[in-house]
Amino acid sequence: MVERKIKTVYDVVCPFCGTLCDDLEVDIDIKEDSVIEVRNGCQIGTKKFFSSNPSGHRYLKPRIKANGEHKEVSWDEALDAAADILVKAKRPLLYGFSSTECEAQSKGVELAEILGAILDNTASVCHGPSLLAIQDVGAPLSTLGEYKNRADLVIFWGSNPVHAHPRHLGRYSEFVRGYFRKDGRNDRFIIVVDPRNTHTAQIADLYIQVKPNEDYELINAIRATLRGVELDAKEVSGVSIEKIRELVEMLKLCNFGVIFFGMGLTQTLAHHRNIDAAICLTRELNDHTKFLLEPMRGHYNVTGANQVFTWNTGYAYSIDFSRGYPRYNPGEFSSVDLLIKDEVDSSLIVASDPASNFPAAAVKNLFKHPLISIEPHETPTSAFADVVLPAAFAGIECEGTAYRMDKVPLRLRKVKEAPGECLSDKDILEKLIEKVKEKLGE
Amino acid sequence: MVEIKLKLKKKPELPLEADIITPDNFVGKSVADIKKLELYYGKEVVKLGDFFDISGKSTDINDTKIIIDGDLSNVKRIGENMSGGEITINGNVGMHVGSQMKGGKVTVNGNADDWAGAMLQGGELEINGDAGHYVGAAYRGFWQGMKNGTIKVKGKVGNETLAWVNGSKPGKRFPKLICGSAGAFLGIHSHGGIIIVEGDCDRCAGADQIRGAIVVKGKVTKILPSYKKIGEVGEIELPNGEKLTGKFIEYSGDHSVDKNHSKIDKKTGEISKSSNGRLYIAA
Ligand code: SF4
Repeated sequence: MVERKIKTVYDVVCPFCGTLCDDLEVDIDIKEDSVIEVRNGCQIGTKKFFSSNPSGHRYLKPRIKANGEHKEVSWDEALDAAADILVKAKRPLLYGFSSTECEAQSKGVELAEILGAILDNTASVCHGPSLLAIQDVGAPLSTLGEYKNRADLVIFWGSNPVHAHPRHLGRYSEFVRGYFRKDGRNDRFIIVVDPRNTHTAQIADLYIQVKPNEDYELINAIRATLRGVELDAKEVSGVSIEKIRELVEMLKLCNFGVIFFGMGLTQTLAHHRNIDAAICLTRELNDHTKFLLEPMRGHYNVTGANQVFTWNTGYAYSIDFSRGYPRYNPGEFSSVDLLIKDEVDSSLIVASDPASNFPAAAVKNLFKHPLISIEPHETPTSAFADVVLPAAFAGIECEGTAYRMDKVPLRLRKVKEAPGECLSDKDILEKLIEKVKEKLGE
Repeated sequence: MVEIKLKLKKKPELPLEADIITPDNFVGKSVADIKKLELYYGKEVVKLGDFFDISGKSTDINDTKIIIDGDLSNVKRIGENMSGGEITINGNVGMHVGSQMKGGKVTVNGNADDWAGAMLQGGELEINGDAGHYVGAAYRGFWQGMKNGTIKVKGKVGNETLAWVNGSKPGKRFPKLICGSAGAFLGIHSHGGIIIVEGDCDRCAGADQIRGAIVVKGKVTKILPSYKKIGEVGEIELPNGEKLTGKFIEYSGDHSVDKNHSKIDKKTGEISKSSNGRLYIAA
């Protein structure tokens, strides 16, 4: 029998979803330098650790596409080719950044500024609308610990944490015992508003089925009812007026309420106006009791991307450096819109896979122009890239900082070495910046 | 009126940012000087003469008329910040045409892209085709959008037209839009805008309207639940004193806006739930 030497790393932060659980335990086979067991993590988080193990999908060396096929090259050659593409472009796009650490993100900002590029992160296809609404009307937010310890009424609106943020319920919002919520689940009243009877809805105390794309009208009716206005309508968005009145009474009666909203609210028709209305509702509820809201951010460090971009440029996403200073306008400088209008002539994708989740028309134009991908393993985007720069998994193979969905920064841990010649996203971007500067003659 | 003629040589592949094309920038310059004016093409700085054939001259700003021909759908920001004179665009035009203009007139004989006349401060913008989203709207994060002037769109306007429009009776500012038909969220967060839609209008017109008037002469997809029916009227008085005749149903709202709480009914002492916003829909 071969003897296995195992090392256990404690208090590991999970680099998968915005919940950023910080209590994982990871067993590492020292000889193989591979993950053999993950404790405390949920299914999706655990999978990510295992996917870092050596496999056919992992890139071990940089690659350049020649005659339609990828061939392995040296770092120098690959960086040179990448820098060439970027320097020659008139309107390059730098996109992704949500699944990597803040240090790499700030390097991305630096590169974008040098190149006069467009800089965007995945918020432009998930919670960008929340940011727009917050800019319009502000937002009463707090940290997850507050909700855990105080909230006695929790609303999940257009979010399904059972599947998207599995441990959110156990750590912060539903089953967990809090300082003032000693009885855990029994001390909380859970409401789910969703067009589908999701698994989260099935464990709620009250499920409100709203018609798809009609959330705005429902929030609007709730707000008016809260003001004491008698509505003309008998039913709004598939919900009866009696039910709306009942709901408003509940909201007013709680001691501390919170709305966790997800992409069911941000990415259905009305987008940021749904959030605008939800924020105004929350604000108005504070005339009666304490009420807050929180976006359920998806990628583990998309919040960090927004933070880093904001403190560097003043804007959270969709930033254009073409005039030498940052300008901001989602819809004009957001990746999907730019690609659909075919307004970029080369792209650098960092730790993201737009080919799998952008509209087909955008992906077609993405592949039309030179494409560079910084990725740990093969994805539909990197498979078509002209240059692939192999990265280490942030939070597994290198350290860094990440922001939880409530903007609390946590330190990611390194549990094992990166295989092959993989480098951290930060190191890759640093080297790329050097190369670009060289070529620009700076 | 003296004319300066610009003709686009070839449709640019990437957007050309032409905020330099305003009577303010052209006045007192020779054609040779105008050709040398700089603008952005992607991240490159190029000269106006590289993209346009130019002829004519100008001496006084209010006497200057710029005529532009060609497919300008990828040329952005024409007439941005202009304070006088005229621009006529014969063709489709890109984003931000006439945005933040303070005076003068811009005419588009074609369609305009998003943000046409955004945050207009004065003057007139006329579009003889369709316009994109955010016509006359406030830019991201601004709480005061279009403050004065008039926008006329013959065709359709997109979503969130005139968002955060900001009129003022004491300030004698009456921002006004007349359009053929409108998309969703027309006049959202309006503070005293005047909006007249000759045709139909999509959902959520007047969402969060605090004061102002929206008149729809066609049909509305759906009226927000927070709007309350007042009754039928034969004549409408707009905030700027203008009168409109015709049979309309009058609604008040948006009643979901908390700020309308500020009034206390003198008779009952109760907080008034009324609203100064009006929505009129053809009966
Ligand atoms: S809930 Fe999210 S952060 Fe926590 S273990 Fe699962 S994937 Fe990781």
